[in-house]
Amino acid sequence: MKEIELSRRQFIKTAGATCVALSVVGIIPGIFKPALAAEEKGEDIKDVLKKHFGDRKIETGHVDIKAPIIAENGAVVPLTIISDLPMTPGDYVKKIYVYAEGNLNPYVAGVALTPANGKAELALRIKMRKTSNVRAVVETSKGNLYQAIKSVKVTIGGCGG
Amino acid sequence: MAEIGKIRIRIPDAIKKGDVIPVKALITHPMETGMRKDKAGKPIPEHYINDVKVYYGNDLITSMDWTIAVSADPFMTFYVKADKAAPLRIVWKDNKGATFEDTVQINPQ
Repeated sequence: MKEIELSRRQFIKTAGATCVALSVVGIIPGIFKPALAAEEKGEDIKDVLKKHFGDRKIETGHVDIKAPIIAENGAVVPLTIISDLPMTPGDYVKKIYVYAEGNLNPYVAGVALTPANGKAELALRIKMRKTSNVRAVVETSKGNLYQAIKSVKVTIGGCGG
Repeated sequence: MAEIGKIRIRIPDAIKKGDVIPVKALITHPMETGMRKDKAGKPIPEHYINDVKVYYGNDLITSMDWTIAVSADPFMTFYVKADKAAPLRIVWKDNKGATFEDTVQINPQ
């Protein structure tokens, strides 16, 4: 009887140890993941904005992004960027910058406009690697910057193999 | 692969002088990111349009920098103030040095 009890204890001990061991194995991928993510990490949007605009103030408003809330295919995400700012010879939107913040290189496109465009609106289909914000920054001929940010959920990423 | 550089540009049928009209343009291009691999596991080199220019008559009215993050077979819509009868020419260039272009005539009534 004692023997059986012992072996039962032994069993519980062993089982416990196995559980601990398994959970350690479970932790290991957790340890490796951040390392992999760091390797894959691309440019940070903050650095990209700094490169494009330095320390200039970027205000909110006067620009809007139309994008799907959920993009099933990250390889083709339709965006429309609209600004209500004037397009007159003395005061116009000079450039629209488009960013997908979760991409390894967040800068997607830059579109330089002139008053001959009549209005500051652009539609483009872009690739998104994963769920992230898309951001549009417009720069006026007077040197003002405005931005809009919109979150897009991506079901299947669209940047690579 | 579909034929690279096939272009379709669309503008409205009836244009009044001074209208701000949408121009929709589609070009067939793989826009390879350089991150994909072929079936044999060999990386597919990046191949993408990086420069787009729009001329209305003799004026350069819009110019775009694109990266690999513009979707394959790029489709865009932008606007033009149709204040003169003139050709609208769009020129796409890719990172391998190829140039593709097409022209539509804007004839405001």
